[in-house]
Amino acid sequence: MTEPIVTMEAIVKNFPNVRAVDGGRFDLWSGEVHALIGENGAGKSTMMKTLYGLYEPEEGRITVRGRTFETLTPTEAIALGIGMVHQEFMLVRELTVLENVILGFEPRKGGGRIDFDEAEARVRRFVDDYGLHIRLHKKVNEISVGEAQRVEIIKALYRGADILILDEPTAVLTPQETSRLFEILRTLKADGKSIVFITHKLREVMALSDRVTVMRQGRHIATLEASATSIPELARLMVGRDVFLGVQPSNRHGSGEPVLTVEDIYVPGDKELSKLRGVSLELRRGEVLGVAGIDGNGQSELVEAIAGLRPVEKGRILLQGREIQNRTPLEVRAAGLAHIPEDRNQRGLNRSMSIEENLIATVFRKRPLSLGPMLVPAALRRFAERLIAAFDIRPPRPEVAVANLSGGNAQKVVVAREIDADADVLLAAQPTRGVDVGSIENIRRELVRACEKGTAILLVSADLEEILSLSDRIAVMYEGKITGFLEAGEADEETLGLFMTGGAVRA
Amino acid sequence: MFDDLSLVFNYTLVHATLRASTPILYATLTCILTQQADILNIGVEGIMLCGAFMAVTVSYFSGSWLLALAAAVLVGTAISAVMAVAHLRYKADIFVVGMAINMLALAVTRFLLQKVLGTSGSFYDKAIVPLPRIHLAFTDGNEILRSLFSDYSLFEPLGIVFVFLLWWLLYRTVWGLRLRSVGLNPLAAETAGIPVFRKKFEVMLYSGVVGGMAGAYLSLGYSRLFAENMTNGRGFMGVAAMFFGGGDPIRSWIGCLIFGFTDSVGSRLQSLGLPPQFILMIPYVATIAVLALALARKTANERRARSALK
Repeated sequence: MTEPIVTMEAIVKNFPNVRAVDGGRFDLWSGEVHALIGENGAGKSTMMKTLYGLYEPEEGRITVRGRTFETLTPTEAIALGIGMVHQEFMLVRELTVLENVILGFEPRKGGGRIDFDEAEARVRRFVDDYGLHIRLHKKVNEISVGEAQRVEIIKALYRGADILILDEPTAVLTPQETSRLFEILRTLKADGKSIVFITHKLREVMALSDRVTVMRQGRHIATLEASATSIPELARLMVGRDVFLGVQPSNRHGSGEPVLTVEDIYVPGDKELSKLRGVSLELRRGEVLGVAGIDGNGQSELVEAIAGLRPVEKGRILLQGREIQNRTPLEVRAAGLAHIPEDRNQRGLNRSMSIEENLIATVFRKRPLSLGPMLVPAALRRFAERLIAAFDIRPPRPEVAVANLSGGNAQKVVVAREIDADADVLLAAQPTRGVDVGSIENIRRELVRACEKGTAILLVSADLEEILSLSDRIAVMYEGKITGFLEAGEADEETLGLFMTGGAVRA
Repeated sequence: MFDDLSLVFNYTLVHATLRASTPILYATLTCILTQQADILNIGVEGIMLCGAFMAVTVSYFSGSWLLALAAAVLVGTAISAVMAVAHLRYKADIFVVGMAINMLALAVTRFLLQKVLGTSGSFYDKAIVPLPRIHLAFTDGNEILRSLFSDYSLFEPLGIVFVFLLWWLLYRTVWGLRLRSVGLNPLAAETAGIPVFRKKFEVMLYSGVVGGMAGAYLSLGYSRLFAENMTNGRGFMGVAAMFFGGGDPIRSWIGCLIFGFTDSVGSRLQSLGLPPQFILMIPYVATIAVLALALARKTANERRARSALK
C-alpha cells in the first residue's frame, strides 16, 4: 500500500472567538496506531471530530480511501468505516448494553420487532474475537467506566468500523483498565484495524503507538516515528519550552500556622473520577497552595465542598479551627472564606445586574452599606467606586451591566469583590480563565498582594504556568485524590505531569 | 359502621375503579408517548377537553359514534401538531405551549357550546349516541360476574389492551428502542443516525390521536354529555400517573388504578355522609401523594449514584 488510508490537509476550524484548528494536518496508515498528542485546547479532539463528521471545517480536505471530501456527516463517516469513541460516551445510560450497541442498526424480524437473538449473536462475535469482555444485558448505568468504553469500541466495530478514533481513552480509566485497553488495541491492530489515539500522556504514547503527531495551539507541530523519539522530546514539542516563564522565586513564607485544614473528605461528584475519596490538605497563613491537575479530576468538587456548595459525606473541613463542612455558603463566608468561582458567569456574577450590584453582593448586609432592611445608595456607590478604581475595572461606571463588560473586566469585578473581603482564606478557582493577557497580569498581581497581606490562597488552575509562577507549594490531584505535594522549588512541568497523570513512578 | 363500610368496599368497586381510571389512563398514554421523547405533554388536558366536545357534537348531529370518535381524534391530532410546531420548530417552551392550549380549550369549548349547541354549563340530549357497551350474555344469571366482567364501555377494556400494546411497542420493537434513545440521550441517537427532530414530531402526532380518544371516551363512554371543564384535572392526573410510572405504561397504569380507586371510594363515602369538601379533595391529595412518592424514590437513587462512599 502506498497511500495513507486517511489524509487530512490544511484543516481550519473556528469556534466563536477562537480558532480551534489552524492548518491542521494528519495522516493515518492502514494497520498503524497513530497517537495524536497535545495540551488541553491544542485542537486534537476538534481535528478528529471533523474526521468523524461532527464538525464542519471552514477549510481543508479530508481524503478517506482515495475519496476526497470537504466535509463529512457522521452517517458518511460510519459508511466509510470510521468509528469514534468519544471522551463523553455516547451511550444511553438507561438502556442495556446490547440495546446501545445495536441502536440505529438493529437486526429485525417481522412486525418491526428487534431480533435480539440475532443481535446478541452478532455482538458476541466481537466480544470473543477481541477479548472485549462486556455484559450485554446490564444497563449502562450499572457498569464501570472501563466496561462502558469497551461497549463504545464494540459499538464502532458492530457498525463496521476499521478506522477507530479513541479520544483520550485512558483519561477515565484506572491503570489496570488502561493496560487491558492496550491489549485490546494491540489485538485490533493485529487484525488490521487502523487506530487514532488522542492523548496527552506521553508514557502511553511510547507504549502503544507506531507514529506520533504533535499539535499545539491548533497547529501541526511534528509527526514522528515513535521509535525515533523520546518522552522529553515530545514534552518539549507539546508544551513549547518558550511558553514557560519558569518559577518565580518566592519571597513569601507561610507562617506555619494552618488556617484551613481539610481532613480526609469524601465528596459526591457527577462523574466517577471527580468524586473526592479521602482528600486531606493544609493551607497555612500567607501561602499560596496551588492545586494542579487535569480538568475533571475532582478540583471543582474540592473547591465547592470547601465553599459550602457541595455536601461532604465524610471527613472534616476546618477554617480557623471551626468545622465548616456542610454549612451554607453564607455561613462559610462569615467564618472567613472568600471564593472566586471557576465559572464567573454561572456563580461569580449576575450578568444582568450592574457592576455596583455585583461588587456589593457579599457585603450589602453590613453597615454602613445598609441600615436594617434598607440599602444606603450613597454608601454603595462610594464602595463600588473605590473598588472600580483600585482594580482598574473598565468602563469605570458602577451602573453598567456586567453583561456589557469584557471577560477580563468581568473577572476583575469578581476578584475585586473577593479580595476586598480580606478573608483568612481565598479560594481562587481558574482565576484567569478566558481573560486577556493584560488582565491576567493584573489579577495575578492582586492575588500576590492579597497573599502578602496575610490571606492564604488555595489556587486551582488548569494552567500549569499559573500554578508554577504563583504557588509556594503545589498539590496535584488525580482521580479524586491528591497524588503528591511539591515545594515550588522542586516542581517542574515534567514532575507535575507525572503526578497529573497518576504518575506510577514517584521521583 | 361495618355494615356501612361493606357498602363502600365490595365487589362492585372493581368495575367502578376500572371505569373511573380509564379517562386518566388515556391521558397517561398520551403523555407517555411524548415523554419517551423527552417532551412533557402538559396540554393533554386541553386536547381531551376539545376531543370530548367534538365527540359529543358530531355524535349528536350525525348519530354515529364512529364519526364522533374520528372527529375527536382529528381535533386531538391537529392540536398536538400545533404544539409540535411551536415547541420543536420554533423552540417554544413546551410547558407554556401546553398551558396555553389548556386555557384556550376551556374558552373555545365554552364558546362553541353556546354557539353550536345553544346552551351553557352542560349539554345532554337523547340524540347523543354513546360508545358501544359490551354486554356478555352468559353473565346475566350471576350478579357478581356481571358486575366484574360485563357492561364495560368498549374503551375500558381497550385501554388495558393499549397499555400492553404500547409497552410492547416501546420495549420490543425497533421503533420503540429508537424513540427511547431519542428521549434519553439525543446526542447518542444522533450519532447512531436517528433523525431526532422527525421522531419527536411523529410521537407528538400519535399523542394527539390518543388524546382525542381520551376526550371521546370521557364524553361518550364515561358519561354521555358535554360539560364545561368536564376533564376537571384528569389530564393532569394522567401526567402525574405517567411520572409515577416513570414513563412505563404498565407502572403508569397502576398509578391510574390508584386514582380510579380513590375516586370511586370517595364518591361512595360521600353517600355515607362524610363532608363532601373532603371527599372532593381525595383525587388531588392522592395526586400529590403519588407524585411525592415517585420523586422521593428518584432523588434517593440519584443521590446514591453521585455518592463517593461506595
